[in-house]
Amino acid sequence: MNFGLNEEQQALQNSVQRLLRDTYGFEKRRAIAASDAGWSPPVWRHLAELGACGLLVPQEAGGFGGRCADVLPVMQALGAALSLEPFLASSVLCATALRCLPRSEAASVALEGIASGAAVVAWALDEPGARGGNPWVETRALRDGQKWLLDGIKCNVLHGSHASQFVVAAHLPGAPGDAADAADVGLFLVDAGTAGVQCMAYRLVDDSPAADLMLSGAVAQPLCLEDEAARAAIQAALAAGTAAACADALGATEAAFRLAADYLQTRQQFGRFIGENQALRHRLSEMFVSLEMCRSMSIAAALAAEKPAEPEAAAELMQAKLIVGKHARAVCHGAIQLHGGIGMTEEYAVGHYLRRVTLLDQLFGDVDTQTARLGDLLADNAA
Amino acid sequence: MDLSLTPAQQAFRDEVRRFVGDCLPDDIRTRLRLGHPPRKEDTVRWQRILNQRGWAAPHWPRAYGGCDMGTLERLILLDELYRGPAPLPQVFNVGMLGPVLLKFGTAAQKDFFLPKLANLDLWFCQGFSEPGSGSDLASLRTSARRDGDHYVVDGQKIWTTTAHVADWVFALVRTDPSARKRSGISFLLIDLRTKGITIRPIHSIDGQHHLNEVFFDEVRVPAGNLIGEEGRGWDCAKFLLANERTGIANVGLCRERLDYAREMASRLIANGRPLLDSPKLRAEIAQLQAEVRALEITNWRFLLSPDTAQHVPGFASVLKLKGVELQQELALLLQRIAGPDSLRRRPHLGEGSEHWAGPLGMRYFYSRAASIYGGTSEIQKDILAKTLLEGAR
Repeated sequence: MNFGLNEEQQALQNSVQRLLRDTYGFEKRRAIAASDAGWSPPVWRHLAELGACGLLVPQEAGGFGGRCADVLPVMQALGAALSLEPFLASSVLCATALRCLPRSEAASVALEGIASGAAVVAWALDEPGARGGNPWVETRALRDGQKWLLDGIKCNVLHGSHASQFVVAAHLPGAPGDAADAADVGLFLVDAGTAGVQCMAYRLVDDSPAADLMLSGAVAQPLCLEDEAARAAIQAALAAGTAAACADALGATEAAFRLAADYLQTRQQFGRFIGENQALRHRLSEMFVSLEMCRSMSIAAALAAEKPAEPEAAAELMQAKLIVGKHARAVCHGAIQLHGGIGMTEEYAVGHYLRRVTLLDQLFGDVDTQTARLGDLLADNAA
Repeated sequence: MDLSLTPAQQAFRDEVRRFVGDCLPDDIRTRLRLGHPPRKEDTVRWQRILNQRGWAAPHWPRAYGGCDMGTLERLILLDELYRGPAPLPQVFNVGMLGPVLLKFGTAAQKDFFLPKLANLDLWFCQGFSEPGSGSDLASLRTSARRDGDHYVVDGQKIWTTTAHVADWVFALVRTDPSARKRSGISFLLIDLRTKGITIRPIHSIDGQHHLNEVFFDEVRVPAGNLIGEEGRGWDCAKFLLANERTGIANVGLCRERLDYAREMASRLIANGRPLLDSPKLRAEIAQLQAEVRALEITNWRFLLSPDTAQHVPGFASVLKLKGVELQQELALLLQRIAGPDSLRRRPHLGEGSEHWAGPLGMRYFYSRAASIYGGTSEIQKDILAKTLLEGAR
């Protein structure tokens, strides 16, 4: 058993932290959020140069060939900086799905683009009828001669507003009379500029860019037309995404906690530091306990995400997402409360951490979803 | 990063599991599973079986009956005992006094007491708290006046768990009334059969007799029973309180109670359906299961990382706070699963006729003590905040 980072992980985390310190201070981050793009291509290039963007990309595609445990320290640093960069979308979700699929020219090219930072590939799984990160797919794929065409709506596509390509899940044509939900799922690659793709860009609560996609006869390259392989790749991507979301929330939570602790030692009222008041001290201690629970389960999630098909690992991911969702929120609520009025302002960082962890909770199934899933497992195991 | 056990550690876990499976008497296992606290004779019987295997005081040196066991192996052993469920080695003997004697005792004291502590030939209890000294322990007033080869002890201890079944007490006494608070306190071993000692029961809200008041009236204690130097008893007390951290989170206990909750929720039929059909109950169990897992990993991280003491100040308080919270939630959950049946306090027909749910009600009431003994949760938060805020300076 060991809980620390290895030398390579530590070195990469240090480099990423240094880069973000220089380029992603809270004021600079606000400027990036206010820009048209809503993210920073120069910072993204730097991250690629450090090797971060290709952490999960196989070595033959120019990546590092790493594991989810390697992602944790990077994601933690990005979370602490309230990063607006497409790391989760491109380097975690799409890289994981693509590397799990049978090799193809299209997948290799996309992976190379992800690793070099030249391409941003976005993960288009969620649909208006879906909740909780389930692969609930209504988008349909149709074969038209040599081409595949997609019809459907994808929503909450992280960084979909500026992605060069999308990895899209869609139903394959079934035998006549097959029920829709019994149909096989396939994965496709769709170029952003292609005909039949309409992209409705917006910002999420943490100012990060996202988009809805309307696909009507959108031309798509097939990545995988085997239901089992496609579902396994989706499962692996969601597992890696869940672990990354936990690590992101850990970084954000840690930063919010640190701000609150510092504030208790600087803010004075009634002629003394507010950190001398027992009620506030106790709240801070409770927040610290919650923070340490987040840290433990982020580690558990990173390890479990390596074997998403194993039932025990799947349950571990549910537990991790539940704990991090619940305790990250508790810490951020506390951090705002300990700040008083200033904690409620747009100009101050602490409230932005609550926005970030609220978003992360909704990704891949929130606390309620994970609780219900675990509860169903209990009933299954008892039966 | 790695949360798995090595093959050797897995083999050790399997070995302990087999041992507990083969050697734990069935009547003890059944009583504990139902939620009863172990009786004195349960603990004695089982600890002697463990002691023959060298596992009663595993972290002690071999010379005194232990096996120099490392922290992870001790955690595995503890988890497996809880899993039994088997009684734990008697905590005052093995977890508290033993390590104090090993650090502060004379050779003669170690040779005389340690084997008896490990084999439970002597049952010790802890005489720290007094009516006026709870969280503020250093304000204690029980006095020990030197008189030739003896100390003469006068005063009162309270909340003394198991004093009514104990042979000896280790007590903090004031040997120098003029010294300020923490100095002037000494650590003394007292034979409870000595003339002048009166023990009065305190019945707790679970209807049980765990606690006592112990009165000392001109009690003559041989000076050779002093541990460490006169006036330096606070060092012993501080060491004792800081030393026993391996079991502080009680993860194994939480796991065992969680298992029992799952088992009963799937076995019990209410209104024609298993209790576990209720999505709300399932959600509660699921949440607690996730919390226990988070505590388990935190416990490993804090106890096994070589640099924890520097990096996570106040970590023992984190473990105690969270462990207690979960124990209390689980005790309440089990009481609620038992439902109205948990209200039956005493059987009509005497021993053996008791309803299975009775102990769960009583255990819930006693669980409220967990956030009071061993440093209240409020004191833990004070300690933690101090290290978080002032510790950095």
